[in-house]
Amino acid sequence: MTTTTTQATETNGSGQEASHSAAGISADEIALYDRQIRLWGMKAQEKIRSANILLITMKALANEIAKNLVLAGIGSLTINDHAVVSEADLGAQFFLSAEDGHLGQNRAVAASASLQRLNPRVKVIVDTDDIRTKHSSFYSSFDVIIATDLDADTLNVINTATRIHGRKFYAAGSHGLYGFLFADLIEHDFIIERQRSNLSTTLGPETKTRSIVSVAPKEPDNKDSHIELVTKRELYSTWLLASSDASHLPQDILSSPRRKRAVTPILSCLRALWQFTSTFGVPPTGPELLTNHTALAAFTQMCSDKHKALGLPAETLRAELLRSFLQNVGAELAPVAAVLGGQLAQDVINVLGQTQQPIQNFVVFSGESMEANVYALHPREGELGRGLLPVTMGVIDAAAEVLEKEGQTTDLMGLGGQHLGGQQQQQPSSQMEGVEQQQQQQQQQQANGVSTEQSTGAGQQQEQQGSGAGNA
Amino acid sequence: MDPTMGNPMVPMTAQIPGPVAQPIPLPVLTRDSYNSQSLGRSLNANVKQARVLMVGAGGIGCELLKNLVLTGFGEVHVVDLDTIDLSNLNRQFLFRHEHIKKSKALVAKEAAQKFNPAVKIVAHHANIKDAQFNIEWLSSFRIVFNALDNLEARRHVNKMCLAADVPLIESGTTGFNGQVQVIKKGVTACYDCAPKETPKSFPVCTIRSTPSQPIHCIVWGKSYLLNEIFGASEDESAFDHTVDGDNAQEIEELKRESAALRKIRNSVGTEEFAQMLFEKVFKTDIERLRSMEDMWKTRKPPEPLNYQELLDKAKSLDKEKVLKDAQKVWSLEENLVVFNDSLERLSKRVLESKSAGEESIITFDKDDEDTLDFVAASANIRSAVFGIDRKSKFDIKQMAGNIIPAIATTNAIVAGLCVLEAFKVLKGHYEQAKEVFLTPFANARMLASDKSREPNPDCPVCGVYQTRAYVDLEKATLNDLVEHLIKTNLGYGEKDFAISNEVGILYDPDETDNLDKKLSELGIKSDSFLTITDEDDEEPFVNVVIAIQEAKEPLGDKPVKGILDPEDVKIPLKPKKQPQPEPVATPTAATNGASTSNGQNGGVINLDGDEPMTTPAKTLKRGHPEDAEGPSVKKIKANDKAADDDIVFIEDSAGAIVIDDD
Repeated sequence: MTTTTTQATETNGSGQEASHSAAGISADEIALYDRQIRLWGMKAQEKIRSANILLITMKALANEIAKNLVLAGIGSLTINDHAVVSEADLGAQFFLSAEDGHLGQNRAVAASASLQRLNPRVKVIVDTDDIRTKHSSFYSSFDVIIATDLDADTLNVINTATRIHGRKFYAAGSHGLYGFLFADLIEHDFIIERQRSNLSTTLGPETKTRSIVSVAPKEPDNKDSHIELVTKRELYSTWLLASSDASHLPQDILSSPRRKRAVTPILSCLRALWQFTSTFGVPPTGPELLTNHTALAAFTQMCSDKHKALGLPAETLRAELLRSFLQNVGAELAPVAAVLGGQLAQDVINVLGQTQQPIQNFVVFSGESMEANVYALHPREGELGRGLLPVTMGVIDAAAEVLEKEGQTTDLMGLGGQHLGGQQQQQPSSQMEGVEQQQQQQQQQQANGVSTEQSTGAGQQQEQQGSGAGNA
Repeated sequence: MDPTMGNPMVPMTAQIPGPVAQPIPLPVLTRDSYNSQSLGRSLNANVKQARVLMVGAGGIGCELLKNLVLTGFGEVHVVDLDTIDLSNLNRQFLFRHEHIKKSKALVAKEAAQKFNPAVKIVAHHANIKDAQFNIEWLSSFRIVFNALDNLEARRHVNKMCLAADVPLIESGTTGFNGQVQVIKKGVTACYDCAPKETPKSFPVCTIRSTPSQPIHCIVWGKSYLLNEIFGASEDESAFDHTVDGDNAQEIEELKRESAALRKIRNSVGTEEFAQMLFEKVFKTDIERLRSMEDMWKTRKPPEPLNYQELLDKAKSLDKEKVLKDAQKVWSLEENLVVFNDSLERLSKRVLESKSAGEESIITFDKDDEDTLDFVAASANIRSAVFGIDRKSKFDIKQMAGNIIPAIATTNAIVAGLCVLEAFKVLKGHYEQAKEVFLTPFANARMLASDKSREPNPDCPVCGVYQTRAYVDLEKATLNDLVEHLIKTNLGYGEKDFAISNEVGILYDPDETDNLDKKLSELGIKSDSFLTITDEDDEEPFVNVVIAIQEAKEPLGDKPVKGILDPEDVKIPLKPKKQPQPEPVATPTAATNGASTSNGQNGGVINLDGDEPMTTPAKTLKRGHPEDAEGPSVKKIKANDKAADDDIVFIEDSAGAIVIDDD
């Protein structure tokens, strides 16, 4: 593994050793982070300060995320990219500069110096490996993993590893004026401080994914205090489920024609984009494709299918929107990266601080309509959160080994094929993995859009296996 | 190594289905490829030619400049009068430690130039209100971006952009909240179309006699006690005298009390000073208050303190240790230690300037530790007297110093939206330009986008007819303006009308003394604004605002010349009085609602800076009903009722603290 640490030195203005207060945060840090500590408090700042975060693919979107996290003062940021800087990268990636000789350098290496200068207190680590050659254990050393601008199959592989190690996972992508954010926090608890109401707070579900798990007075000794601390828990689905036809829009949207019409058709386009790229090994972009009527027809059909599968009215998927979407695929724009990167980094910070409602679980942004709508996309049946156990570890690691041994980065379908279709050939190396493997098959069935009845069955089985695996 | 390796978005030809008519070579990718691809050639070319102005290079400004430069706007001017401070560095990412105390505009230009050498950046380390930034200069820009942190400058740029008819993209953030709007004369609402909240003030009696919240004690320490002892006089701006009439007797008592306190001021620097002051404000005055039994029928009466007793208890404390811990809520004894120590430090400063023969006036500054310690300790001791919760010095700094929390992410999101709005403006698609609010933590959306509001016909700023006139400032009198411009060129004829400027009325049918005075004698310069009010009862013109421009070339026989020929002047009539519109939530309620719901209100206008700003009350009605946790007028009204004596103070992490402006 090629990993380097840039100058990660503890410095302060005067160059003297920072004086640490009892809380662990020095007076210098409090002065530097003053305006944000006033927003999220010292406790959250301490949690942010000790977080180790992995950020994959250093393009425009990741530049924004990296900037925001490093400014906020996280513990360490590992930036991973194996590609080299091209002319086009200079367009929206502000860590790069032709005059600094970044053209042709590794993208993570090139970005690291400017990134480190934003905040010398944060440890910036550069990793130039192809992410697809990483073993699943790689992900266990991070608190949060953020994968940007990757294809759906690679996101699935990474998400599988983050599930195995119980790590929080974000995916995000930008395509010109459009983009998306996705979160799989598995099971995330956070504490909301609020005014006690006349009705006492009841424990139990608030939404399909969120429940109140405990309530306590903020100051148990102060009878006059009306502030209570409410611990809420959000449960998540995997990328594989949420990005595919196995997941559905929330019922309150589906039961309202008006709200269905308001669902952005970009969601259908994104799902079609992932499927197209997975099927053909390339995204629907570039002059070759845009003049290839068969490919265009295939993409249009996929959009239409995805739109229908989501239960959305056909009239909201218009030709001009499809054209606009295709025109934007693969491009990156600074202002869009800023919006998406700001929203994603803020959610990561909130998740670390554990005092705010996080994203649940999909955000679709359109710079055309200036909307960033949130959709909770989950399977209709079956357990969420930890109940959705990941596929076997062996599969990804074997795939990673093959890639590493061959020393090549073939198209992602090789890996996707092995991962998704090839599990039958894998020998489970332990009982535990056997269980996981079955679950993978079930998830795959769900992802492939099996009927409701079958899904129900799978969900029930999953529940049993989930608890079994938990005991193991 | 193949440069496209590992970039799954770079197309490979092998597996594309179907026939390809003929091989098309991959275009050579350049810095501008993606902009051109996404925006299309025409808009991208517009962007490359656009000359734009950005006012403010702070929290939003740094992010905005990055976006403008990367997107490739042809020429970007940056105006900011501020210098860089340590507390900026957590979000203003163009600045680093070594830049502290340097000009924001100049450092931002240097840093952003590296992002794209093709863009021309011009930095102005200056105040946007300076004369050089006049209407003519403003009208040379395609778009103006406001990235400001205060109401006054926002209003100024709004007015100037309306006069110059240049589209303005206005933005602001506070904490997790933010908003963007496009202001285009005659097309969308302007910044002043909805009333803005004025800074809070407090009834004198709440501060002086019946405090019930920490902020009351903090304002007492900062605006009353500190000023009486060390300042020039009582800081009147903090007090709301509108209810004084109801409490005439108590107000008289308070005046006597203040006079007695000012006498103590003469003892500054003596050994007994701390004890004298303490016993005056925390014992004698409290005993008097307590004796007014009517006042304490429904409230807990205050408890006077004994200085000597408290001092004995405080003896064992380690002063340095107490002073260092700004996060801790000090005990009563610890507060006495800080009270005495800060008094000593402040007294020393007074004596020093006295011995140097200078008058000594110390006013509150959140970054002046001596004043902050004094205000924190006095406020906390007073809180103890009245049974109010004490606060840490860290918290008191925020409340007394009016600090607005600010973070990088909100600024980044807002600055990104500004450029997306700019695309609509460049295309002339104002109907697509949205008014966008960030709605953090809402379930259904992270942005609330709505059609831009229409101009308010009653708006004092844009609901007027704007015109310009060239004037020979050395020659022209007010009468020249009346005769050669208003009556003839603008067509007022025999109408009754009044002329006023920001100072007051210059002319009306009963006030003709100024007619023979030269405009220069009346303080009218280039870029002065004059308002003409039609005083006819029937079919009056809307107000006309004339921007005075100094004539650059001789005007001929008359020293005043309107910019339009009389036939092109079309002043609309005032809209007929509509029946009273449905009541909207007051600005006070807006602040309340925004802060109590964990910042879940989309309807807050905010800013990254040191001054609170407010929401147009109208936007409160623009919430989306399907947002379970979104804004609702109902909820806000309930909150408003709950708040006692019109004070808005929410201490929750997302809340903006709104107190008097300093």
